[in-house]
Amino acid sequence: MMAWWKRIAAFFQGARLDRDLEDEIAAHLAMQEDEFRQRGMSAPQARAEARREFGGVAQAAEAYRQGRGLPWLETAVKDARYAWRGLARNPGFTVAAVLSLALGIGANTAIFSMYHALLMRTLPVSHPEQLVTLYRTGGWGRGFSSYPLYREVRGRTDLFSGTIGRTGIEKTSFRNGDSTPSETAQVEYVTGNYFAMLGVPPAIGRVFTDDDNRTPKAHPLAVLSYDFWQRRFGGASAVLGETVTSGTERVTVIGVAARGFRGVEVDRHPDFWEPAMMAGEDPANPSSFWLWIIGRRQPGVTISQARAAIEVLFQQRLAALYGSNPNSGFRKTAMAQHIEVREGGVGLSSLRESFATPLTILMVAVWLVLLAACANVANLLLARGAARQKEIAVRLSLGATRARLVRQSLTESLLLAAAGTAAGTLLAWWGERGILRFLPAASGNPFDAAPDGTVLAFTIAIAVLAVALFGLAPAWRSTAIDPAECIKSGGAQGGRRASTLRHILVVAQVAFSSMLVVLAALFGHSLAALRSVDLGFRNQNTIAFSLDMPDNWKADRTSSVRGDFLVRMESLPGVTMVSFGEPGPYQGGYSSISVRVPGSQLTAHEPSWVNTQRVAPQYFDIIGSRPVLGREFTVSDTSQSPKVAIVNESFLRMFVPGELHPLDRVLNFDEQKPDPVAIVGVVRDIPHQGLREKIEPTMYLPLTQSPASFGAVLLRSERPAGELAPAIRREAERLGPEVSASIPRTIRQRIDESIFQDRLVATVGGFFGGLALLLAAIGLYGVMAYSAARRAREIGIRIAMGAKRSTVLWMVLRGSLALVIGGLAIGVPVSLVAARKVAPVLFGIRAGDSLAFASTVSVLLAVGLAAALIPARRAASTEPMRVLRQE
Amino acid sequence: MSTGAAKSDILQGTLDLMVLRTLESMGPQHGFGLAKRIQQISEGALDLNQGTLYPALLRLEQRGWVRSEWGTSESNRKAKFYELTRAGRRQVERESKDWERTVAVMARFLRPAE
Repeated sequence: MMAWWKRIAAFFQGARLDRDLEDEIAAHLAMQEDEFRQRGMSAPQARAEARREFGGVAQAAEAYRQGRGLPWLETAVKDARYAWRGLARNPGFTVAAVLSLALGIGANTAIFSMYHALLMRTLPVSHPEQLVTLYRTGGWGRGFSSYPLYREVRGRTDLFSGTIGRTGIEKTSFRNGDSTPSETAQVEYVTGNYFAMLGVPPAIGRVFTDDDNRTPKAHPLAVLSYDFWQRRFGGASAVLGETVTSGTERVTVIGVAARGFRGVEVDRHPDFWEPAMMAGEDPANPSSFWLWIIGRRQPGVTISQARAAIEVLFQQRLAALYGSNPNSGFRKTAMAQHIEVREGGVGLSSLRESFATPLTILMVAVWLVLLAACANVANLLLARGAARQKEIAVRLSLGATRARLVRQSLTESLLLAAAGTAAGTLLAWWGERGILRFLPAASGNPFDAAPDGTVLAFTIAIAVLAVALFGLAPAWRSTAIDPAECIKSGGAQGGRRASTLRHILVVAQVAFSSMLVVLAALFGHSLAALRSVDLGFRNQNTIAFSLDMPDNWKADRTSSVRGDFLVRMESLPGVTMVSFGEPGPYQGGYSSISVRVPGSQLTAHEPSWVNTQRVAPQYFDIIGSRPVLGREFTVSDTSQSPKVAIVNESFLRMFVPGELHPLDRVLNFDEQKPDPVAIVGVVRDIPHQGLREKIEPTMYLPLTQSPASFGAVLLRSERPAGELAPAIRREAERLGPEVSASIPRTIRQRIDESIFQDRLVATVGGFFGGLALLLAAIGLYGVMAYSAARRAREIGIRIAMGAKRSTVLWMVLRGSLALVIGGLAIGVPVSLVAARKVAPVLFGIRAGDSLAFASTVSVLLAVGLAAALIPARRAASTEPMRVLRQE
Repeated sequence: MSTGAAKSDILQGTLDLMVLRTLESMGPQHGFGLAKRIQQISEGALDLNQGTLYPALLRLEQRGWVRSEWGTSESNRKAKFYELTRAGRRQVERESKDWERTVAVMARFLRPAE
């Protein structure tokens, strides 16, 4: 122990201890000399004799030094210094190698850290692996369940040792004290056992119990998150017992949750929690879906067992509730619901569903980038090894062992990898920011976490793997030379096998690059197909923002407040036209209604479901979609005037056979209360639900005849959305704290957000594809230039013998093309398999998309020609006399 | 890690004990004095390269059995003096006993058969 400590200390004081040892040995020799002289020797004789007695001074000193410090570390430092000097002498090589590695390592780190945050990191709760979430599908909405269903699941203690329910995370205005300003905070309503079941203790005060969640509106309590407590209250314990304002309620703070706990969602974090009974929802209504159920599996209960049991329970409930509903359309939809039991330990994430596939694809892509980068660096190292053959031969003949040279070469690789990792980490940070810009503004951000241990370990593992990939083979190959042969032939003796290895590496590089380029081309083509979807309207610059009023307002209050607001919008400078729609273009959400169409076979026996939208006058004018038949709504369509509707072309195709003019049709919503609705117009199909969605038969109804409490305000403006935003926010604030307005953005921005996965994969894939092409070009150029230089004499002789220069040119180009074709022969079949895997996320094209594959092949062939052009021209302009004279 | 640089005819552990024992009997001493003393006591029977003494001294110092200090020699030269530590004294005692036992056992083997 102590010996090691002294060794480490000695390692850092090497120079001083060396001097000490020198002095000590000098003193020893001097004393010995003195003694010999006293015995009568002459000075030179005494000196020689003293040295003989001592033995080898240098050997003793070396043995001493070896025993003193940490020899392996000293050699490593020496190797590192040597490698550093070598790299500094070749800045071009060093920059190319470090950049290649930075790219490969950085891309992997960036994508992996997102992948890890979204798909792998578990919640900071006790035994997250036991948690499952109950995800409702079909019917109306997704995920959330009803409170009665929660009660029933909680009773199944044979499956779950604990079951909690929670709402989504909702915005609310938050104020404490009377003087402090209010802020928008995030609240989550939870059942009383939420904290206990998750195993989250209070930091101070207490957390909810079941007694805090018994009666609707009777438990005005709040538990703060640790972060919110620190930020808003400075971590003061006086917060306990304080009464704060959440929305319109006054609630009392009873505690703060443990540090690090940020709720069960990955993308969004609540600032505080309130009991579920305070959510303003009806806990007795089995058809009101507002509670997300999370269970903790009993030991020994598997997910599939839980899934089967819960599905049986849910189907029994559905049958009891809806089995005898007279409306067959409603019954069908209601009975088609299911509950999936999913892994819950990684938390809930709305982003995960839409983002997991693109991230997984990108993980594969960055692997290919790393492989291509490693192949490139290996190639550069081999070229360098070839250039240093003479030096290596000299060192081998001077007695350096091959192991020692391999070790030195690997040290150089490690140094390159370390620099690549450092640069790559920066690149990853920058790249991640770029990727985050693609995410929709409303999706929250699960990636805020500081550098994570797992990600760090991954990066280091990647770097070490890279060294193994690109460093080992060149180190081994470059030192496999016969020094005598090499020195005799003046260094020109070519490692034939090294050259073969370089060819293999280039072929591999082309193969990796072609896979990346195929992926990029597929996603690019798919995005182009999405972009060319007929939107059915022209004015993508229309500005839209949501305006939501409380559900409990009466319809006439809602419409008068909204009417006033729209008038004020019209008077804003730069605004030329205003309208309103529910839900509005690309806002998400939809409503539907069952309808009978006279004369249609489809609705002869039972009504059909169609989507509905409620719109104000000028809606179609503002988005630039003139009705193809009839008219749009006007101010004269009031609640007193005859009921009217506009339908889209899909509706027409499905329900209205050709015998009767569409505008003469009258629709029936309900047989019980005949209330005829006349079709007054037909509009183009507009993919409101998203570009990928199938267009449903849709009916537009006037707002005046079918009130809506939420929806989107549409503006046509001469000024950009950003400039209008402050004025819009001011006007919205005048409507009071219960009304909320979103940030105004153009429909184009919303469409972009709705296809963010496609844009992200296409852009990032294209970026990587381009880089891979560049790497392949560098690799090809290196190999071709090297082999042309080695064949200079042969080419000189050929030209002297009368070979045409164009023949020589083609000879070199052909060599490069052969390598590219070799790479394509591997890359294209593998890409076909990969393309099948990603086919589900492609839009409008098949996995074997001929455009993508043909463009990949031609781009790579072009790269092959371009990379070989300079070496080929140099070879073709060889002066035979000059080359032959050099020998 | 150690190379075969110390080509002495004596075992490494033996040299260590010789050094420790010499320091015990002579008190603080510099390397040259130690080398001379060891040669004297062994009456030239040992072919000792004086240089090999220094790695041995280093080893002993690393283990905490001796400590060193720069001082002035009897001939008024600057020299490094080595001195036994308390742990060194205990080590001499332990090692000496081990040696005596080994020697006794070996002696029994080497006694002419009766």
